[in-house]
Amino acid sequence: MTTASRPAPPPIRTHKDGRNWVGKSIRRLEDPKFLRGRGGYIGDMTLPGMLHVAVLSSPYAHARITGINTNAALAAPGVHAVITGAQAAELTDPLPDFGPNPAAHTWRCLAVEKVRYVGEGVAVVVADSRYLAEDALALIDVEYEPLPPVVDPERALDEGAPLVHEDLGSNCAYERTFQFGEVDRDFADADIVITDRLRWRRSGGQPLETVGAIADFDIATGQLTVHTNSLSFTSYLFMVAGTLKIPANKLDIRPMPAGGSFGSKLFATKPTVIAAMCSRAVGRPVVYLEDRVDNISNCDHHGSDRVYDVQLALMRDGTMRSIKIDTVDDYGAYIQFGVGHHGNALAQVVGPYRIASVEYRVRAALTNKNQQGAYRGFGSEVNNWMLEQMVDKAARELGLDPVEIRRRNFIRDFPYFIPTGNVYDSGDYDGVLDKALKLAEYDHWRSEQVKAREEGRYIGIGLITAQERSVFSATEFWFWFDTPGAPVTSMPESVTLKVDATGGITATLYSCAFWGNSPETMVAQLVAEEFDCDPHDVSIVYQGSKNGLPATGPGGSRTTVMLAGAVEGATAKIKAKARRATGYMLEANPDDLEWVDGGYQVKGSPEARKTLAEIAVMLHLFKHSFPEDMESGLEESKVFDHPYTTMPSADRKDLGVFYPFMGHACHVPVIEVDIETGQVSFLSYAAVHDCGTLVNPRSLAGHIVGGTAQGIGTALYEEFVYDEDGQLLTSSFLDYLIPTAMEVPELKIGHHETPSPWTPHGIKGGGEGGRMMAPAAINVAVNDALAPLGVRLTELPMTPDRILAAIRAARESR
Amino acid sequence: MKPPPFRYAAPTTVEEVLDLLAANADAEPRVLAGGQSLVPLMNFRLAQPGFLVDLRLVEALTTLRTERDVFVIGAMVRQSAVERSPEVALAAPLLVEALGYVAHPPIRNSGTVGGSLAHADPSAELPAVALALDAELLTAGPRGTRTIPAAEFFRGPFTTALEPGEILTEVRIPRREGVGGYAFVEFARTHGNFALVGVAAVIEMEKDIVTGASITLSGVASTPVRAAAAERALAGTSADAATIEVAVDAAADELSPAGDLHGSTATRTGIARNCLRRGIQLALSRAQDRR
Amino acid sequence: MDKHDITLIVNGHSSTVSVEPRKLLVDVLREDLGLKGTHIGCEHGVCGTCTVLLNGRSIRSCITFAVQADGAEIRTVEGLANGADLHPLQDEFWTKQGLQCGYCTPGMLMRACEIIEQNPDPSPEQVREGIASNLCRCTGYQFIIEAVCAAAGRMRGEEQRPDQTTMPTEAKA
Repeated sequence: MTTASRPAPPPIRTHKDGRNWVGKSIRRLEDPKFLRGRGGYIGDMTLPGMLHVAVLSSPYAHARITGINTNAALAAPGVHAVITGAQAAELTDPLPDFGPNPAAHTWRCLAVEKVRYVGEGVAVVVADSRYLAEDALALIDVEYEPLPPVVDPERALDEGAPLVHEDLGSNCAYERTFQFGEVDRDFADADIVITDRLRWRRSGGQPLETVGAIADFDIATGQLTVHTNSLSFTSYLFMVAGTLKIPANKLDIRPMPAGGSFGSKLFATKPTVIAAMCSRAVGRPVVYLEDRVDNISNCDHHGSDRVYDVQLALMRDGTMRSIKIDTVDDYGAYIQFGVGHHGNALAQVVGPYRIASVEYRVRAALTNKNQQGAYRGFGSEVNNWMLEQMVDKAARELGLDPVEIRRRNFIRDFPYFIPTGNVYDSGDYDGVLDKALKLAEYDHWRSEQVKAREEGRYIGIGLITAQERSVFSATEFWFWFDTPGAPVTSMPESVTLKVDATGGITATLYSCAFWGNSPETMVAQLVAEEFDCDPHDVSIVYQGSKNGLPATGPGGSRTTVMLAGAVEGATAKIKAKARRATGYMLEANPDDLEWVDGGYQVKGSPEARKTLAEIAVMLHLFKHSFPEDMESGLEESKVFDHPYTTMPSADRKDLGVFYPFMGHACHVPVIEVDIETGQVSFLSYAAVHDCGTLVNPRSLAGHIVGGTAQGIGTALYEEFVYDEDGQLLTSSFLDYLIPTAMEVPELKIGHHETPSPWTPHGIKGGGEGGRMMAPAAINVAVNDALAPLGVRLTELPMTPDRILAAIRAARESR
Repeated sequence: MKPPPFRYAAPTTVEEVLDLLAANADAEPRVLAGGQSLVPLMNFRLAQPGFLVDLRLVEALTTLRTERDVFVIGAMVRQSAVERSPEVALAAPLLVEALGYVAHPPIRNSGTVGGSLAHADPSAELPAVALALDAELLTAGPRGTRTIPAAEFFRGPFTTALEPGEILTEVRIPRREGVGGYAFVEFARTHGNFALVGVAAVIEMEKDIVTGASITLSGVASTPVRAAAAERALAGTSADAATIEVAVDAAADELSPAGDLHGSTATRTGIARNCLRRGIQLALSRAQDRR
Repeated sequence: MDKHDITLIVNGHSSTVSVEPRKLLVDVLREDLGLKGTHIGCEHGVCGTCTVLLNGRSIRSCITFAVQADGAEIRTVEGLANGADLHPLQDEFWTKQGLQCGYCTPGMLMRACEIIEQNPDPSPEQVREGIASNLCRCTGYQFIIEAVCAAAGRMRGEEQRPDQTTMPTEAKA
C-alpha cells in the first residue's frame, strides 16, 4: 500500500437533515404503462415495411466451415436476403472488443471460417416474418469439418490443447499475478494457512425479455437509426459505427425499455450490428429479436466460470493476515470485456476484513463456449463467495464461532484503503451484523439446529458478511496492462433539467434506459427533493445517442449515484440562474436570497419571494427584464463524471481508487438438506443491507429480494452445462432451471445506513447486492448443515447430484 | 422459435378424425389434443407434422361419467376439469392428487388426460397412475375399437400401443371408492417441472394387515413400471417402518434409471427410495384412516 | 399453406382474422389484433409470460395455435383496467411494487385474476404456490404476493389497508 503518494480524496460532504422525497417509497412513475400492457418494449415496435431476421446457429462446438449453400434458402417464400459469415465479414468489421488482444481473438457478428461454440451464428435470413425466416434457415446447407473441442478451462491451458483462436497461439487470453502488500512476509508470520479449491460454474441473467434491435438504414441520407434494448453506453456505443463502417455522426441509437437485463443487455452490440447489416443489405427496416434459445446459447452474456485455488493465512486467534488467490476463469470463445470481472473482485477482494496483503493470479482461458459478458455482480459476487467459504473453513478448523471470527477481523476505521488501493468510503459492519443476527433470530435457529441434529435432520445456518461495491471507474478496464492502448478515464452520466414557462420540470436522461431499475422514479425523487415539487409532476424523457450527452448507462450499481450527481449539478446551475434572476425581479442582492419551499426569497423577509414558476415565466418571455448576458429560458445540463477516481501506480502495486462507494450486507439463510434426495429447502432467510442513503427504500428492497432469488438460482439450480463435446445441454428453460416462487422463500429484510461522505445525499449503489450475497450464504449454510457428515460442498450450483455425491464420498472415506 | 407449417382440420366426430388421419397418412399427420407437449416440440421444430387433426370439437371424447364398475374419462377432458371433478375425487382420488403435480394449473387447463397418456413421456405422472389403477385404454382406429390394459399400453419412451391412424378415446378406471389408501408423490428440482421420479401407490388393508398393494413409478425407466418387489414385500404384513424399508430396498434393487444432467443413476435411485417411502407411508396412513 | 378464418372475442370485442394454422395465439393477439400487452418469454410453455384467460381459464398463448381458440372469449391485460381506473390488481401491483421491468407483469396479472377468482381469500402461501406457474426474474416474487393478497382483500369489498412497506426505513425526519 502506497500511502505516501496517494492523492487526496474529494472533500467530505455534509448531508442535509430532513428530506422530503429522498427516502420515501413512492409509487414508481414508470409503472402505469407496464401495468396496462403498454410498455413499448422492442418487440412491440413495428416500422412500416419491417423485415425479420433469424440466425442459423452452429450445431458444433468447434468446426471449420468448409461450405455453405444458400440457394434454396434464397428461393424460399418471403425471403429477401441470406447473408453468410463470409459475406458479413465484407459488410462489417469486427465487433467492439475490450479484450486484451482483439486482433487475435477477433469477434464478428457471424462465424467466418470456423465456429467456436454451439449456437454461434453462421448465417442470417431476412424475411417477411420470423416464421418464414426460420423456414428458410432449414434450407441453408452448411458443411462442417469438426475439430476437437476444448471445454475444460484448465485443460484449455495445457500445452497442445486445440486452439480456439489460432491467431492467438494459445487459449490463455490473459495471465498476470498481482501482489499487493507484503504477502510472503504475512504468510511467514501466520500461524496457519487454510487451503481450498473451489469451483463456480456459469449461470446468466436470462431476463424474460431477450435482446433485440430494429435497424433502419436510410440509403438516401446515410443515417442509421437503431432502436434497441441494449443498455446503451452512449460514451462508447459509437464504436458500433466503426463495425458498420459508417461515420459515428450518422448513427443514432435510441433506447427502449428493457424487460430486465441483469447485465445481459449491457453493451449488447451484436443484435444491433446484425440488424443494421441486414437493413443496409435490403434497404428496409429490419428487426432481429433473439428467441430464448438464441438468448441462452448465443447471447454473449454468460456469467463468471471460475476455478479457484486459495490460501488464507491467519493467526490462531482467527485474525486474517493475507490471502493468495489463483483463479482460472473460463471466458468461452471470446473475451469482450477482458478481465474486468476481476477488477470487480479486486475492488473488494478482502471483503470487510483487515487482511493486509493479497496475491491475485488470474488466467483467462478460452474454450468452445458462448462468451462471458455481464451478470449482476460482474465477478465480485464470485469473490464474495470464495472468501466467505474460506472464512467459514478457517472458523471450523480453528474451532472459532463464525460470528466471532468475523468481528475479530472487521474493518472499523473509514475511509479504509484495502491492499489493492481501492477505498471503502464508509461502513458499520458490526451494526449490520447485530441487526442481522436479531432479524434472523440467530440464537433460536442455533438451538433448533441442535434439536434437529438429534432427530437426524440436517439444518444449516449460512451467516456471511460481504461487500457490495458501487460505481466503477474507467480505470478498471485498463489497469491490467502496463502500457494500455486506451487508458480511458471517462465514465460520465448526464442529466438535463428544463423548467418550462409554467414552472413544470422536465428531466432528460441520455441513453439511460429502463431495465427494471427505475431511473425515472429516482430522478423524479431527486429533482423533487431539490425543487420541492411532487415527483409525479416531473416529466422524464430519454434522448438517444445522436443528441445525447455522454452517458455510460447502468452497470456496477452506478446509476442512482451518478444520476444524483448529474441532477445535483444541473440543479445548481438552474438555481444559480434563478437566484440571479430573482435578484433582478425583487431588486435584491442575490446573496441575500435563500431557496425555501419551491422559490427564492429574501432572508428575513419571506414575503419578498418568487416561486420557480414566476421566475421561469419571466426568463422565458421577458428578456428585457434581465441584463444582456442572461439568455432566455431556464434549462441546464450537467455531465457528471466519476467523483472519486485515482490513477493506478506505474508498477501496479496500487490500482488506485476505482470503486469507492462500498455497501455491505449480512445474509442469514437457514436451510435444511434432505440427505436422501439432495434437495435444499429454506426454513428462514434474513438479509440486512447497507447501501448508504436510500432514495426509494421499497424499490431497493425489491432489488434485494430479486437479486437474492437469482443468487438462489446460482447456488442451487442454474447452470449452462456443456458436455465433453461442447454440446450445450441446457439450451431452454426445460433444462436451465429458473427458480419459481416456490424456490424463493419470504425474505426478512433489514436496513442499515452509513451514508457515503462523497456522494449526493450519501447514496451508494445497491441494485446488485442480493445476488452478491446469496450464493455465498447458501453454500455456507449447506456446509453448516452437512458438517456433522464431514461434507463440504465447494462447487456451485449445489445440485442434488453434487450434494449426494459429496455425502457418498464422505461416507466412503470414513 | 416458430413452428413449421402444417394443414389443419377440426372435425366433430371420431369417424371424421380417423378419416382425416387416413386420408393424410403421407403427410405425417398427428392429432392435436391440448398441445401442451406437442406445440413446444413444434416450436423447437423437433416435431414437424404435415397435418394436425384438432380433437377439441369432438364431443364424444369429452365424456366424464360413472358406470357400474368403472369411471370413464374421455380422452379430451381437460386435466383441470378432472382435477376439479367431485366424481373423480370419489372414484379415483389418486388421479386427482397426481394431477396436482402435472406442471402448473395453466398447463392443466389446456392439457388433456388422453393427451398425456398418448404422449407417454417416461417422467409423466398419468401413465404411472393409469398403471397403478389397472386402467383400460380404449382406442379407435382403422381396425375398429380396442381395449388395452395400461400394462400393455406403454411400450417405450414416447411410444404406446397406438398404431398409425389410431387414437385414444377413453380411459376406464375400475371403481374402488372407499377402498384402500392412495398417494402420489414425486420429486422435481423446481416446482411444476418434469419429475425425476414419481410414485403412485394404492394400498388396501384389513385389520392392520396389507391385503393389496399397487405401486408404480414414473421417471425410472422408459415406461412407468410396477414396483412388484415392493408390493410383494408389503403384502400380508403390518407394514411397520422396518417392513417399509425392506419394500423400498426391494424396489430400489430393481431400478437402474438412466442418468442425465439433472440426476445421475445413483441420485435418481436415492430419490426413488425417498419417494417410495413417502408414497407408501402416505397411502398406508390413508388406508388406516379409512377404516 | 391455406389460411383459416377464425373469430376471437378479445376483451369483449369480436374480431375475425385470417391466419395460418401454425400462427401462435400470442402472435395473433400481438400482430393481427395489435394487442402488445401479452409478451413472449420462452416460446416453449415454461415461463408463463404469455398467459391470457381463454373462456375464463389461464392458458399459455405461446403454445396454443390461434386456430385452437376459434370462437373463444379471451381476456388480456388490456381488458383489466376500466378506462382511467386501474383494476385493483394493477393498482396493488403499483402500490406494493410488484413489478420492476414489467415484462412478466401482464401474464402475472392474468394468472392472479384466476387465482383470486378460484379462491377469493387466498393465504400468502396459496398465492405463492399459485404464481409458481409464472416466472419473474426481477422481483423474487415477494411483493407480487403482497400485491395479490391486497387486491384480493379489496375485491372482497374489505377496506383498503393503508399502504405498508416491508422496509422499516422511514424518510429521515
